Amino acid sequence: MSASVTPLRFQPPEVPEDKAREGYYALLARLFYAGPDAALLAAIGGAGRIAGEGEQSALGGAWNRLAAAARAMEAEAACLEYDEILVGTGKAEVTPYASYYLAETGREKILAGLRGELLGLGLARSEAAHEPEDHMAGLFDVMRHLISLGSEDVSLQRQQGFFDRYIARSYPGFCRAISASEKANFYRHAAQFAEAFFAVETEALKVL
Amino acid sequence: MKNDTKSKLSRRNFLITAGVGGVATAAAIATQSVTPDKPNLTASTDKRGGKGYQETAHVRSYYNTSKV
Repeated sequence: MSASVTPLRFQPPEVPEDKAREGYYALLARLFYAGPDAALLAAIGGAGRIAGEGEQSALGGAWNRLAAAARAMEAEAACLEYDEILVGTGKAEVTPYASYYLAETGREKILAGLRGELLGLGLARSEAAHEPEDHMAGLFDVMRHLISLGSEDVSLQRQQGFFDRYIARSYPGFCRAISASEKANFYRHAAQFAEAFFAVETEALKVL
Repeated sequence: MKNDTKSKLSRRNFLITAGVGGVATAAAIATQSVTPDKPNLTASTDKRGGKGYQETAHVRSYYNTSKV
């Protein structure tokens, strides 16, 4: 009997919507960590259109505009834009760190709490990354990871908790600051797409 | 449990209505783009080759010493 035991395989069921969410988070993590290269712009520009329904098509419209911007944009210009808005010399015009949007004071406590939480999830900052953990791109990547763990209730609640604590209240300020920047062109569309996507996420994660 | 199933269905419906579901292409390109090209392409695309986070078997002691 024991010779024929098949080890249990924990294969998370693939829910198409969650695969898509995972993809969006991956894309946003990439776009907000550094400027896009030519291959990424070509991929976004060549991707299919999103056709939403009725009032909810905000996401579709934002995606289609981002794709159009990607087709018109040179990678070098987009990278320059990223650096000017989100890196800058001295103080960046728009800070990419979530704790800035989450609190006026005690930001280091948020960061410490986040580090503890990541530890609990078995996650840590990659050795190549120099940014503190509350970089928006890092948070998006954590969400991507959490979604990849599965679509059952436990997983969804974990996603909901993390989203509520770190993204739900930081993304509006972050996205709108980028949209409002005079230097933003491609990244205005990226920020508006991000904002539309997180608005959907906020609602979808409420429905658990 | 019945409620769980029901709420999951409505969550799915919401995502589909919002347009999240039907974009296999977007999801596919996005997943590929997580690993950007090799960092030695051109000067302007040099930095930051990897993902923000990586799952590690053990967390480096660095974090123990750098708690704020």
